[in-house]
Amino acid sequence: MKRMKSALILMVLVLLVIAGCSQNGNSAGNQGASDVSGDKSGENSKESITLKLFNSKTEIVDQLNELKRDYEKENPNVKLQIDTVIGTDYASALKGRFAGNEMPDIFVNTGYTEMETWIDHLEDLSNEPWVQNVVDIAREPITKDGLLYGMPMNLEGYGFIYNKDLFEQAGIHEIPKTITELETVINKLEESGIKAFATSYQGIIPGRFGVNVPFALQGDPVQFIQEINDGTANFADNPIFQDWLSLIDLELNHSVQNPMTTDYNTQVTLFSSGDAAIIFNGNWIQPMLNNLNDNMNLGIMPVPINDDAALNNHIFVGVPNFWVINKNSEVKDQAKQFLNWLVTSETGKRYITEEFKFIPAFDNIETNPEIVGDLAASVQSYVIEGKTYGWHWPRYPIGVVQEFGSVMQKYSSDHLNKDQLLVELKNAWDKFK
Amino acid sequence: MHVGKDSKWMQQLVFIGPAVLIFSLVIIAPFLLGLYYSMTDWNGVSPNVNWVWFDNFKKIFMEDTDFASSFWFTTKITVTIVILTNLLGFFIAYMLVQKLKTRNMLRSIFFMPNVLGGLLLGFIWQFIFVRGFTTLGAYSDFFLFKLAWLGTEATAFWGLVIVSVWQGTGYVMVIYIAGLSNVPEDLKEAAYVDGAKRRQVLRHVILPMIMSSITVCLFWTINHTYKMYDLNYSLTNGGPFRSTESVSMNIFIEAFANNRYGLGTAKAFIFFVAVALITVVQVYLTKRREIRM
Repeated sequence: MKRMKSALILMVLVLLVIAGCSQNGNSAGNQGASDVSGDKSGENSKESITLKLFNSKTEIVDQLNELKRDYEKENPNVKLQIDTVIGTDYASALKGRFAGNEMPDIFVNTGYTEMETWIDHLEDLSNEPWVQNVVDIAREPITKDGLLYGMPMNLEGYGFIYNKDLFEQAGIHEIPKTITELETVINKLEESGIKAFATSYQGIIPGRFGVNVPFALQGDPVQFIQEINDGTANFADNPIFQDWLSLIDLELNHSVQNPMTTDYNTQVTLFSSGDAAIIFNGNWIQPMLNNLNDNMNLGIMPVPINDDAALNNHIFVGVPNFWVINKNSEVKDQAKQFLNWLVTSETGKRYITEEFKFIPAFDNIETNPEIVGDLAASVQSYVIEGKTYGWHWPRYPIGVVQEFGSVMQKYSSDHLNKDQLLVELKNAWDKFK
Repeated sequence: MHVGKDSKWMQQLVFIGPAVLIFSLVIIAPFLLGLYYSMTDWNGVSPNVNWVWFDNFKKIFMEDTDFASSFWFTTKITVTIVILTNLLGFFIAYMLVQKLKTRNMLRSIFFMPNVLGGLLLGFIWQFIFVRGFTTLGAYSDFFLFKLAWLGTEATAFWGLVIVSVWQGTGYVMVIYIAGLSNVPEDLKEAAYVDGAKRRQVLRHVILPMIMSSITVCLFWTINHTYKMYDLNYSLTNGGPFRSTESVSMNIFIEAFANNRYGLGTAKAFIFFVAVALITVVQVYLTKRREIRM
């Protein structure tokens, strides 16, 4: 009998532990909800609420933590909880949180297809005070049926980043405007013993940034993507895609190291040590370059695919991420306040330009080229002159970017010839449409 | 008597109850849920879930060549890794049951790679393959350092094999050592007295006696490598051009990167059945050869 009693007690204990776990979760949730209603009624509740922010921009993790300190100082009853997962793993991580009922209040979305995926969870932000200041190219990706669902984080641009000192050393005084001029530049560099490119085919670069080039150079990329989707157009008989192949070959044949074993970090490292004069990358590598080699003179130049100078005279600028608010969040009003603070308060604006070194996507935030760095300043001058093409991969069906990447890898390892490459790219598209 | 029966019931409930409860919460429930999703077109996010019956399975068997090729890749690499890990693990174990002065230290050294997690190991070895080997290659002419290790299909395959074997050997070594030290000395001595050679003792006395260790090791290595994900992810990430994409990775990408949760769970179900079948057959075959003492 005694044994049975202790056994019973044990059992009850186990049950209690299990029940305790779930109970805890519930009460915490209720707590949050009651706090919000307290706030809404205007009463200054002393209890603080927690804003969960899920970030994908690894470059600004440290700065975000400082921002958190400042924001909490200005808003004593709000606690910011910031988590960061790198962009390439972000979508899966977010889905994991969603499935585990741990949805953040503010998270990140890339717009277009991804907006469609998450649309049932996004709060409409059209009536926020900052909306009027958003620059035009930053609106479309996150707009659906006339409603704006996100706040652009920043503008970013990519193209050929070149080392001005090495160009000088090789006697190059003007950046190439056509592919023929690019070939001359490559020859001049190599004559002075400088390798032209550090080409990276291990990772996201060729599939995402590379294939975007011939998409963006189409007269009407949106129309073109529609035709690709309908099957009325393909890549194989598109003149821009055909021209683009010769640029791909130039990049592959004049690389300092085997592109298949060069990943993103290796590429930037090779460039920073002066082993290559040009890399195909974007202004977001500035903080990394500053850490590796502080005294480089840098510029961004267009990516010429043929001899039409006017066509090639652009770099590729877009909004990498939008802050979006979870529609079902219990603290979404505080989340809106936070976003508004970020782009209207002096502190917030200072963080965007001076700390994050972002090119702001708002016309009421001014930047100082000396603070944001060579690359951002260079991108911004293209933006001001209107010499920009868009980022179109968020319009592709989900999964295509990765598939494009592996097709490009196959080409670089001689598993495909030029014609097959264009056919395979189309097959990759059809797999996911 | 009546009370006795009740208390027996109670005991069952107390001792097995919690395990059953947790097992069903953590394993059975998600499994059934997965089975349900495998017959839907859910994308993992939206509130709309449509029932599509067996469309996902049809798609996998009729259209999806990537799944088939990742299955083939996984089978190839599993066979290679299982054979190499077990041969090497047994060999090292056999050496380390001899009376060596340094044997305890050597045992720890061989086991050490297993303590590191697969993810970390993958990143370390990625650095070795990508940066370490190329740097060494610049200073020496040794051909192994000149290869683009993670850049071509064949070398990426062997890269995975090398790291995986290096990691798994220590684990099976420990099991084999336990098995080997349990072989009764008198049996071996008797065999030597009867004039058996070392090799014959190994073949006819030791191997049959450690058959149960072999069952365990084979089961563990097959099961473990078939479900390989972390090493795969951190070392090659499926590349070059998806040639080293394991089944687990294919499933993960389908469900979470391509937003086809239903299709992904259908693949996971097929994978479960396949791995279960393979390991059951293996355990059945090796169990039959075990000697009961």
